[in-house]
Amino acid sequence: MNENKSLLNLRGITKVFSKGTVDQVTALNGVNLDVNSGDYIAIIGSNGAGKTTLLNVIAGVFPPDSGEIILNGRNITGLSEYRCARYVGRVYQDPHVGTAAKMTIEENLAMALLRGQPRGLRAASNKQRRELFRAALAPLGLGLENRLSTLVGTLSGGQRQVVSLIMATISKPALLLLDEHIANLDPRTAQVVLDLTDMIVKKEKITTLMVTHNMELALKYGNRLIMMHEGRIVVDLGKEEKAHLTINDLVAAFEQAAGRKFVEDKILLRR
Amino acid sequence: MLLDIAGHVLSFSFYEGLVFGFVAIGVYLTFRVLGFPDLTVDGSFALGAAVSAVLIVDGVNPFLATLAALGAGLCAGLVTSLLNTKLRIPALLAGILVMVGLYSINLRIMGGANVSLLRQPTIFLQVSEFLGLGTRIAYQLTVAGVLAVVVFFILNWFLRTEIGLALRATGDNEQMVRGAGVDTDKTIILGVSISNGLVAFSGAIVAQGQGFADVGMGIGMIIMGLAAVIIGEALFRPKGVARLLLAVIGGAFVYRLVISIALRLGMAPGDLKLITAVIVIIALAIPFLQKKIQRQWLPPASRW
Amino acid sequence: MIGSQFSPGGAPVRRICRQPKHLKEGGEKVKKILFVLLAAALASSVLLIGCTQPAKEPGVYKIGIVQFGTHPALDSCLAGFLARMTELAGSADITYIQRNAEFDFSLAATIAQSFVAEDVDLIFSIATPTTQACAEAVKGTNIPVVFAAVTDPVAAGFAESWEKPGGQVTGASDWADVEAQVQLGMDIYQAHRLGVIYNAGEVNSVVQIDVLKAAKGRLGITEIVEATASSTADVYAAAQSLVGRVDAIWVPSDNTVAGAIASVVKVCEENDIPLYSSDVGMARQGAISGAGLDYFVNGQTAAELAIRILLEGEDPGDIPIATTPMTIIYLCPAAAERMGVTIPPEVLARATEVCEK
Repeated sequence: MNENKSLLNLRGITKVFSKGTVDQVTALNGVNLDVNSGDYIAIIGSNGAGKTTLLNVIAGVFPPDSGEIILNGRNITGLSEYRCARYVGRVYQDPHVGTAAKMTIEENLAMALLRGQPRGLRAASNKQRRELFRAALAPLGLGLENRLSTLVGTLSGGQRQVVSLIMATISKPALLLLDEHIANLDPRTAQVVLDLTDMIVKKEKITTLMVTHNMELALKYGNRLIMMHEGRIVVDLGKEEKAHLTINDLVAAFEQAAGRKFVEDKILLRR
Repeated sequence: MLLDIAGHVLSFSFYEGLVFGFVAIGVYLTFRVLGFPDLTVDGSFALGAAVSAVLIVDGVNPFLATLAALGAGLCAGLVTSLLNTKLRIPALLAGILVMVGLYSINLRIMGGANVSLLRQPTIFLQVSEFLGLGTRIAYQLTVAGVLAVVVFFILNWFLRTEIGLALRATGDNEQMVRGAGVDTDKTIILGVSISNGLVAFSGAIVAQGQGFADVGMGIGMIIMGLAAVIIGEALFRPKGVARLLLAVIGGAFVYRLVISIALRLGMAPGDLKLITAVIVIIALAIPFLQKKIQRQWLPPASRW
Repeated sequence: MIGSQFSPGGAPVRRICRQPKHLKEGGEKVKKILFVLLAAALASSVLLIGCTQPAKEPGVYKIGIVQFGTHPALDSCLAGFLARMTELAGSADITYIQRNAEFDFSLAATIAQSFVAEDVDLIFSIATPTTQACAEAVKGTNIPVVFAAVTDPVAAGFAESWEKPGGQVTGASDWADVEAQVQLGMDIYQAHRLGVIYNAGEVNSVVQIDVLKAAKGRLGITEIVEATASSTADVYAAAQSLVGRVDAIWVPSDNTVAGAIASVVKVCEENDIPLYSSDVGMARQGAISGAGLDYFVNGQTAAELAIRILLEGEDPGDIPIATTPMTIIYLCPAAAERMGVTIPPEVLARATEVCEK
């Protein structure tokens, strides 16, 4: 059984911003992380803990100052963003960032479909690909499969986020990075997207890292929970460990590991 | 008699709309599709004229000379985009630098300020000899029309290919494109090169049409191109790649038609430019006023 | 959250008001050194500029030549000037600095400034726009300017009168008899509506058009239709705009149109509109007729004036503006045929020069 094969290894990842000035901040401080194939990891932490920076470093947006990133045995440290994109599908908090507003749903999906593959002079979209897109959109029950020629800019935030999610996964990437992807949605839409995420992750068995502010979500979804604080991972719970935890337990675990009181209102009030 | 004149005005404007339409398409590709403000245009237009003129005078087949002009334009665009993507020079400045440099280069190519093509074979003459058409504006219009159709189909096809789609997306959301695994440096280089190739192609055709190439003939081309794009978008409200390309050519036609009309109205010579601007304003105001009268919703003005 | 935070272990991870000291000092030092170097470079270059002029030797002269653009008339002028200068210079050692503005008005001004900066002994300027730039640039110096190929120096503003220019500028004007030029055309084929193409920004052209308008009655013309072009690129469209509105086209001695004359010839040939030219240089490019002076002679005359100023010490303000007589009548039966008319034999007999094809 290859279920627990190591997919992603982070060794000693450090990232410092604005070095040598008054605003210097160590966003990642010697982070070590082993992600196994099939993991669905919820990442939680206070503002400035380094969660988004971690995702950015993995996605190649900027290189770490030191440390190594190994994916499937390959050292991908320092690869530029578009090269890392081969392995990584990403959904952002802002629905506008992940999609091109002036292009249709079909065109956006066509862009995403070819992630990691060389592009040539074939027609970007043909009958087979359209069928593929419809098949991907139909199960959502949102009617988007009939609106392939609609401009993405005319869709609502929730619909755009759904499209972003399909775009991130349709190329079957090795890793899916979700950066607070339901934070900007209303509760009902957020639930739709969350269920969809769950469905896709389970069905395609994509290794997923989900950054969230919502402790309840972090406990409910995923087989692993990581808590970050000031550039370090301070809590790392496996499936069995987190299955029986409540939010209070989690807070206590944090305080023990971080050595200080947990005073993040935003997280506490989101229960 | 009046019909004759009107016919001539319209056909000349059609002709100009088509040949300058290539410039408009080039400008559309960079400014709108790629979101890259490329000012190289003034230089690459004259470059195309210079290269084709010098080659034709040297005895090269005019069709080959025109293609060589296209190649020269590709190189000019290549330099501009490389300056921007690799040396991180802001796009606007990169275009200006290349445009300024091309002025000197064009002078060197032509060995002076201009080259006459009056008794030289041109693509128009070759076609008219081959088909036995008359030597009036009609055959120029036909040739220009055929070229425009060919370019239209090629671009329409290209912008729908995988690479073409990546090009279009680059101007829309560069981050998404990188996230989709595309090197946006490459798409910008490709797009800016193609654009300037088209502009140089236009310069070569215009030079052959008017009988000479001149180092200053590119001055104001970027303005003409932008005006054509904006007029086309405002008047025709196109949706989709194919309609946009047509709208841009239409905008070029309207702009040149306005100039032709202003010239013919016999305005005091110095006032010509002002009259042209006023007519363009009126042309753009019409759809706006239409909407206002019908009490339709008016979107806020775009910056450009 | 801003504020000093401590990781498990207690060591502070963020300093608020202090920077690593060695970094700060090193950076400041480098900046200071650069600033001093830059100031020193600026200061020395200012000083050096004042000191680079070498002492003047007697019998050695530097002449700056600026030509508005490349076209046959102006090229001829230059050739005539250089030829005559060589004949008359004698033992004087003269170097020429030749620059061409390629029809760019602002470049002409820059070239004029450069000659002043290089402290030339005389400027020879070919055409009106360049002479205007030179006249402006030499103000405050004592550099004389000799021009050629300028139609009306008084109207252009750099001479007070034809007899006594009174300033630093004099030269050989190419004032041509506009009426005679147009009459020649009318003798070939009488036009009642005459089209003209010119650049309204060129003073020399406006002057010629005014003369034409005053004489139109005598020429049998009822209407003059104007089309202007502000650069060579506009000439083609201007010519096209005259189609159907005129019986013939006459082009004045205009530098912009001269650069684009090929497009006017093309339009006229395609639409059977007779094209008459003013000066012969343009006419030779495809017009039916042209009458004018020989620009070579015009350049020679300018050279004679230059020698008077340089070697005989005359004041340019006192030298009357020279004119060159119209000696050439150019006719082209082949061009007439291409444009749908025939040159009457008695007119053709008047020609001093006939085209080959």
